[in-house]
Amino acid sequence: MIRHYLTAINAENIKEWKIEMSYLPDFIRSFIEPIVYVLPFVLYGIALVGGRNSPNLARLVGSGDIITYVVLGYIVMGFLNTACWGMGWSLRKEQWYGTIETIFAAPVPRWVYIAGMATHSTLHQGGMIGIQVIVIHLLFRIFFHTSGILPSLLLIGLMLIALYGMGMMVAALALIFKEGWIVSEILHSIISVVTPIAYPLSVLPVFLREIAKFMPTTYGVLGIRHFLMGERVFFTIPEAVFKLLLFGFVWVGFGITIFLLIDRKVRRDGTLGHY
Amino acid sequence: MVAIEVEGLRKTFKKGKVVAVDGVSLTIEKGELFGLLGPNGAGKTTLIKCLSTLLIPDGGRIRIFGHDVLKESLKVRRLIGLVTGGERTLYWKLSVFDNLRYFAALYGLYGRKARRRIEEMIEVMDLVEKRDERVERLSTGMRQKVALARALLHDPELLLLDEPTLGLDPQFSRVIRRFIKEELQKKLKKTILLTTHYMEEADELCDRIGFMSQGKIAACATPEELKEKIPHERLLEIKMAGLPDESLIRNIPGVEDVLMIVDNNRTVLRIQSPDPEGILATVLERLRKECRIIGFGLTTPTLEDVFIFLTGEELR
Repeated sequence: MIRHYLTAINAENIKEWKIEMSYLPDFIRSFIEPIVYVLPFVLYGIALVGGRNSPNLARLVGSGDIITYVVLGYIVMGFLNTACWGMGWSLRKEQWYGTIETIFAAPVPRWVYIAGMATHSTLHQGGMIGIQVIVIHLLFRIFFHTSGILPSLLLIGLMLIALYGMGMMVAALALIFKEGWIVSEILHSIISVVTPIAYPLSVLPVFLREIAKFMPTTYGVLGIRHFLMGERVFFTIPEAVFKLLLFGFVWVGFGITIFLLIDRKVRRDGTLGHY
Repeated sequence: MVAIEVEGLRKTFKKGKVVAVDGVSLTIEKGELFGLLGPNGAGKTTLIKCLSTLLIPDGGRIRIFGHDVLKESLKVRRLIGLVTGGERTLYWKLSVFDNLRYFAALYGLYGRKARRRIEEMIEVMDLVEKRDERVERLSTGMRQKVALARALLHDPELLLLDEPTLGLDPQFSRVIRRFIKEELQKKLKKTILLTTHYMEEADELCDRIGFMSQGKIAACATPEELKEKIPHERLLEIKMAGLPDESLIRNIPGVEDVLMIVDNNRTVLRIQSPDPEGILATVLERLRKECRIIGFGLTTPTLEDVFIFLTGEELR
């Protein structure tokens, strides 16, 4: 049974790659866009600071390298797109294709499709991040502690659990809301604002700082920058690991519950195949 | 052995305002080719979707080869091969082979076994030349063949075919019908439930037919038994150019029922009467005032006549 599900997850991943590659210009765009997206923030930072190193940033977080600081923040936040758009749109896309009823009639639990899409989105995002890092490094050079790579990957893994839970919830909500992109947009916006991507947590208003403490991305971004460039953080690493595990548990539980409830609702209402 | 057992199935939509299936009970034996015949909106597709776990019924019980569809849905889905209506049930951007490989994985087929089975299905469905062609470049009929190949990949015991020839040209329809009857039922011994609103299709293929009208099974028997329900052995059939006023014919003494089939500017009237020869002159006289008569004669009742006789509804 486990082999069956894993094969199905892999098949979903391969199918998505093939469909994406059938739209070649858009496929290429998906790898170039993240570079274009992050560049204005880097250039804006350089312009404001008047160079690479900001004494003020160093005072606030312990490292003044504005370029590495911003790029690392955006790289980690790329995984939020995996949850909100990649996973969140997995079932909605099947509704558009007209295939959702056909795949839901197959003998695999329905979360398998979302897991397949999560695998695909994560790999796609990983590829995008790789290109982003190489290009920005060639343009501006990024400096980080190589010893921090492994613990950073561990934190990304833990953060992804919670993001997958969110993705599952968004995927389910997209089945019942015709304008389902609003759910993705709202979630993405809220998390993006309160997560210290390109600015230190201390510059946020107090109430947003408190909200940020409940976001897995806060621990992900800060923890990774802590390992890679020595950013000062308001938590200990065991505390971050515990919080990420807790968020993961809560969000996955919540995501599965919402998914099961909505799956039941659309099969009761007869709206599964509607788009 | 019983393949499908439906008891008092009820399914409504829009908070109970639309009754799609209204207390349907049905038993289909293993190896049987059963047809659900009814007009659009009769509840056929809803019934199929309940059987394939895509809809949760409001009431009643469904068992597939003894498994409850609600409690053992994964087991049930393993036993079913589903072909739903519409062309977009495949990935258009993928090739025939890639579509089948994806669905094979969903049905637990992988590695060499999957590859062998996919190639086998491609050959059975005569798709060898189209193997690496994207689905978007195939004709409607070819796509339907791929959909059938997909439904057969895991060698299911039961096939649910929802309007399998809808939108196909007559030649392709014949190919699909022959395949369903000769290959699937006779050779592979599959149990098949198909829905259609083409009475010729049901008549040609099915061992038994259930007439579905307004969510209910109005009658269920073999095509021959159903035809015997018409009280007269012969009907008066008149073909004409133009559209006559049906009430002019219904008013004629001796006319019991009238079926009017309109296709472009041509009309066929099928009139039930205990004395078809006796009313012929009056009927022709009235029709001539409005239309140009092309031909007339006596004919035997079809399933469509029976359907109208039993339900008061037309199939088209």
